[in-house]
Amino acid sequence: MAQKVGWMWASIGLLCISMLSISLSAYYYTEFMRYVGLYNKAQNELRKYDRYIFADILVDCGNGTKDWSNRTLVVRGADLLNATRLVSEVEYTRGVYGAFVTRINGVGGDPKTYWMWHIWNSTSSRWDAGMVACDVYILNDGDVVAWIYTRF
Amino acid sequence: MNVSSKNLSFVAIMTALCVGSNYALIGVPNVKFMDLFVFVSGYLAGSLSGVAVGFLTWLVYGTLNPYGFDLPTFLTTSIGETIYGVAGGLMARSGLRLSSSSSATLMGRSYWGTSLKLGMLGFLLTFVYDLFTNVVTGIVFGIPLILWIIQGVPYTVAHEVSNFFFFLAGGNVLINAIRRIMCKGGES
Repeated sequence: MAQKVGWMWASIGLLCISMLSISLSAYYYTEFMRYVGLYNKAQNELRKYDRYIFADILVDCGNGTKDWSNRTLVVRGADLLNATRLVSEVEYTRGVYGAFVTRINGVGGDPKTYWMWHIWNSTSSRWDAGMVACDVYILNDGDVVAWIYTRF
Repeated sequence: MNVSSKNLSFVAIMTALCVGSNYALIGVPNVKFMDLFVFVSGYLAGSLSGVAVGFLTWLVYGTLNPYGFDLPTFLTTSIGETIYGVAGGLMARSGLRLSSSSSATLMGRSYWGTSLKLGMLGFLLTFVYDLFTNVVTGIVFGIPLILWIIQGVPYTVAHEVSNFFFFLAGGNVLINAIRRIMCKGGES
């Protein structure tokens, strides 16, 4: 009889362990499935961004006002002018070599002072002057560009 | 149920103990000493006394609760809680003998053997209680049952495992201690 009771309690102990295991397994399985669903959803969302790139754009008005637009989402293949127009109000004229920016956010038109664009050179850690018109330069993913109101 | 003044005062004291400990542990969801106290009440004073302690505790704690009052949940937990009292009474009658908690036997095999049995009982009863309350509230609120039960697993596991340890560590000691107090005072 005592042996029978012993086996009964051993069975109850095993039953407790089984119930705990089953509960935790079921819970972690559903959690796993939930995270798989979230992962797939995130992947689908990310696929949309294949058509876009990120660029950091600085507008330096030369009077101490510096306006950074970090991680600006730009359509792949967009030029600097269009990217700048996404974050600022830009006025420009068309010339032989391309667009010439005259005002950004209402700043511009001062004598001997012009809007020049620069690109951050991460190798030399300095700003390189843009060598082409802003509507000719095609942005690359991760570009850091600056518009600096420069007096000559 | 023996309606003696001793029994009634026992039920009142145990209910007060349950309610007080519940409010003290209000910030810890699903970890409460109440289930152990209700089981001990049933074990020492009979199933009906245990049922009374469980129901009366929920009558107070379920009504004056900072998380709010909800009638279906209140009824479910009140009825569900009584299984600890019923089980306590049945265990005492069916001969789950407890060893003394004196220092001589505290480290003895029989003491830990009985404590382990109590721990397993606590776990099983809590499983049944959680299943019952989850099923009833799931049906009442119209939530898919399997999903409702699975989503509640972290809480039910916390409840079951904590009760396992409470029953394991406190069951034997509490029953012996209260039994001694009961033997000393008042009518038998």
